[in-house]
Amino acid sequence: MKTKDMLKDETIVGSPVKHLVVLTCVLFFFWILLSGKFDLKFLTYGVLTAVISAWICVPLLLLPNAKGTKKYFIFDVPLVKYAVYWLWLLNEVVKANIDVVKATVKSEMVINPRVIRFRIKMDNPMAHATLANSITLTPGTVTLNVTEDGLYEIHALTDGAAEGLLEGGMQKRIADLFGEPFDYAVVEEGEEQ
Amino acid sequence: MIMGMSTGLFIREAIAVILLIGSLFFFLASAIGMIRLPDFYTRLHASGNSETLGLMLACLGLVIHEGPTLTAVKIVIVFLLVFLANPIGTHILGKAALKSGHPVWTNKDKEE
Repeated sequence: MKTKDMLKDETIVGSPVKHLVVLTCVLFFFWILLSGKFDLKFLTYGVLTAVISAWICVPLLLLPNAKGTKKYFIFDVPLVKYAVYWLWLLNEVVKANIDVVKATVKSEMVINPRVIRFRIKMDNPMAHATLANSITLTPGTVTLNVTEDGLYEIHALTDGAAEGLLEGGMQKRIADLFGEPFDYAVVEEGEEQ
Repeated sequence: MIMGMSTGLFIREAIAVILLIGSLFFFLASAIGMIRLPDFYTRLHASGNSETLGLMLACLGLVIHEGPTLTAVKIVIVFLLVFLANPIGTHILGKAALKSGHPVWTNKDKEE
C-alpha cells in the first residue's frame, strides 16, 4: 500500500496524519540519540531522513486485526501507561528469574513442565504481541503458539510459574492498557476448542 | 584504594563490578540449567535467565561504569532491543518444535 492511499483509508484506527507525525518524531529522536551532534547541518539531515523514512515506512507499521476489519498503528499506545506496565513487568521478571534459578540449581530439581492453555479475546494485534512477548520474557513460561481467535499455548516449567500466569493478572493489565474488554478463560486439559 | 582514583570514582567502579559479578551468576545459572534440564522445551526456559536478568545486570553495570554519556544511552538501547527481540526468537523456536510434534517431557517420564 502507498502512503497516499493510506491517508484516505477509513479502516485505520486514529488519524493517519497523526501516525505519520508520531513516526517522524520517533525516528528524529532516535537520530539525535545515535548521532549526538547538534549542529544545524546534522539536524537538517536528520529531519529530512526522518520524514522520508516515515513516509515510506508508515504503511508497513499498520497491523490488521484477526477479522481484517480494522488496522492499528503500532506506536498508537498510551505511552505513560505502557512505560508503567514495562516497569511492573521488569519487577515480575526479576522475581520469576530468582524462582527459576532456585528450581534448576537445587540438587533435586523441583520442576513440573507441562503445556497450559488459556483464551483471551482482544482486537488489537499489538495487545496480543505485548502479551505473548511478556509471557516469554518472564522466565518459567514460554509462549508456544497463539491462534487467531486468541488461544494461547504456554509451556510452563514450574507449578508456581503456571499458577501465577493462569491467575490472569498480566492479562488483565494488558486488556486495561489497550482499553479492551477483559474476556479471559482458562482452557482445561483435554477440552479442545 | 587504587592509586590515583578519587573516592567517588572508586565507589562507582565498585558498584559496576558488583553488578557484573551478579550478571555472571545468572549466566552461570543459565548454563547449569541448560545442561541439567531434560528436554528441548525446558531448556528454552534456562536461556531466559541469561537473556533477561543476566543481561539487565550486565548493562546496568556498564552504564554505571560509563557514567552519563551518549554511550550509556546506546547501551540502554541495545538492552531494549534484546529485551524486545529475544522473546521472539525463543517463541519461534518453541513454535517450530510444537508444530513438528516434538513431545513435551513431563514428570511421568522421569523414571525411564
